Amino acid sequence: MSARVLVVGELRDGHLADPTLESVGSALALAGGPEGVVGFLAGASARSAASEYGRYGVADVRVAESGSFDSVPPAFLAPVVVATASETRSDTIVVGGTTFGRDLTGRVAARWNAAAANGVTEVRLTGEGFLVRRPVFGGRATETLRLEGPRRVLSLRPHSFSAPEEKPTEVRVTPAAAPEPAPGLLGPKRVAVAPIASGAGPGLTDAAIVVSGGRGLRAPENFHLVEELAQALGAAVGASRAVTDAGWRPPSFQVGQTGKTVSPQLYIAVGISGAIQHIVGMVSSRVIVAINSDATAPIFKVADYGLVGDLFEIVPALTAEVRRVRGL
Amino acid sequence: MEIVVCVKPVPEPETRLRAAADGRTYDTEAVKFVLAGYDESAVEQALLLKESIPGSKVHAVAFGPSPRTEEVLRASLALGCDQATWVEAPSELRPDPLATAHALARAIRPLPHDLVLCGKQAGDDESGLVAPALGELLGVPDFGFVVDLRWDAGSSRLTFRRETEAGEERWEAPLPVVVAMQQAWNDPRTAKLPAILKSRKVPIAKVAWTPLPAELGPTVPVRFELPPPRTGAKIVEYKTPGEAAEKLVRILREEAKVFP
Ligand SMILES: Cc1cc2nc3c(=O)[nH]c(=O)nc-3n(C[C@H](O)[C@H](O)[C@H](O)COP(=O)(O)OP(=O)(O)OC[C@H]3O[C@@H](n4cnc5c(N)ncnc54)[C@H](O)[C@@H]3O)c2cc1C
Ligand SMILES: Nc1ncnc2c1ncn2[C@@H]1O[C@H](COP(=O)(O)O)[C@@H](O)[C@H]1O
Repeated sequence: MSARVLVVGELRDGHLADPTLESVGSALALAGGPEGVVGFLAGASARSAASEYGRYGVADVRVAESGSFDSVPPAFLAPVVVATASETRSDTIVVGGTTFGRDLTGRVAARWNAAAANGVTEVRLTGEGFLVRRPVFGGRATETLRLEGPRRVLSLRPHSFSAPEEKPTEVRVTPAAAPEPAPGLLGPKRVAVAPIASGAGPGLTDAAIVVSGGRGLRAPENFHLVEELAQALGAAVGASRAVTDAGWRPPSFQVGQTGKTVSPQLYIAVGISGAIQHIVGMVSSRVIVAINSDATAPIFKVADYGLVGDLFEIVPALTAEVRRVRGL
Repeated sequence: MEIVVCVKPVPEPETRLRAAADGRTYDTEAVKFVLAGYDESAVEQALLLKESIPGSKVHAVAFGPSPRTEEVLRASLALGCDQATWVEAPSELRPDPLATAHALARAIRPLPHDLVLCGKQAGDDESGLVAPALGELLGVPDFGFVVDLRWDAGSSRLTFRRETEAGEERWEAPLPVVVAMQQAWNDPRTAKLPAILKSRKVPIAKVAWTPLPAELGPTVPVRFELPPPRTGAKIVEYKTPGEAAEKLVRILREEAKVFP
């Protein structure tokens, strides 16, 4: 049993983004080999990046080469993706679960009459059908769904699938069918893009390691301790609501019920007490470390490892040790 | 401006989750349902726009079973929404996100709708599919991950920001449009008692639910799993901060294997 899979690629700095490589990895497994996989790319540099699919054995690549795709809403791209899926007789569309991919999935599913799932962490095509597993309730539980019917669209949670082995092949690039977009879709304009403060933003939800700081840091001028540890680890920076409410860091840093939900491989909570509203945003992290001077702080109930002590002593020592072992 | 806001009842965030007897979904027995968190942001945003644009109306729409769906519509009216429409789902139905989008689109199509507001994702299934699917079914553009939505009367355009991997994007869009809210930039209001009492008298319009075309394959829940409960931290003993750091880094590399 195998699927015919269209991978919708995303470019970062002109190259296939990591979530796209993970999508290719999953597509190759679902299709049982590169013959059943078609690559798709849209944007000004679609054609020049198309050959990168070839590194993983994917030879058939469809491109919608137009700069206009770089700054339009997903609504605009959905008709092109669906037309390409039909043309290539694909039954499954896979995209990385970034903001781009998650927005595209629902749009494409409605247009293509397909079953869909976002943020998928496992996919299996078995006698039981097409099964996907995904975290729900902010990572406090997981569900397994069977996607029935002849077509499905998935976005994959970043870091949950591995990039495929390299198996270079020659790429055939074909322009994608580009249906006229409905006039109502042409109105919205992206007027500016500004880089987000380092560490926060969607990078926070995707990061493999997150270091978050809380009120225990006492003052905004001490927050650099958390940022330096994060930098040594290559981690994103988060914060408790106490920190964002006080204006030490913007709201985009907030982890928790009314902020972002994160589930990295490693979450380090520095000077955070562990209020339930914070916990629900990070409890699904694989390994949790807490640094807190109060041995009875509730954060130690959900942490895997705890350091009881003064963060002003421990965090600089930890940063130095991480730098030492990583040769920084 | 005619604003439609889609509201979904979800279990209270602090709910202790349990799997249902058949192991396929979660147990809804004795669970308290509330307005989903991001939907609170959407309602708040709708009310702020209404207050800033004379002659505006906010219409709350929900799809789901009795009594919880009617309750979140009442809660939305108490917060200041003007009207409410309910697509009542059969109680045994476990609707999937695409079916939900179809049901909502059917209810919204006949209503005036310049702006349809949703939450980014519902606090239970977190599918994040309903708003974009709704945009497609209504034939209007949709935007997810939106914060700070404003109306520019001069240009007759909405302006808003979105956080994406590319950075913080600023957009301008003419109406109509579907927007999924990320998070309120000011705290959602709470309902006052007189408003709660008054909202009980507002009639809720009902729209019948109809099954989907057979061509759209359903999404069937197979298993609902909870992780083993966390048992509490292993406390790392140390004498100096240097020793604490050394021990923790060794644990993270060798025992937890979280970095090389
Ligand atoms: C509706 C609602 C929604 C909310 N949503 C969120 C949310 O999304 N995210 C969120 O985070 N919160 C949220 N909160 C707030 C939450 O209840 C807590 O108030 C908040 O998380 C506390 O932040 P904190 O842990 O940084 O501060 P505190 O609770 O003040 O904890 C500070 C910790 O630092 C420790 N400490 C102090 N000095 C040191 C030192 N020198 N070394 C080491 N440790 C030290 C203390 O022992 C203490 O445990 C919400 C609250 C409500 C009511
Ligand atoms: N049953 C429903 N009734 C009304 N609105 C809904 C329903 N399900 C989802 N929505 C809307 O769609 C958003 C995203 O939900 P979801 O796609 O399920 O994560 C929610 O925040 C609501 O605004």
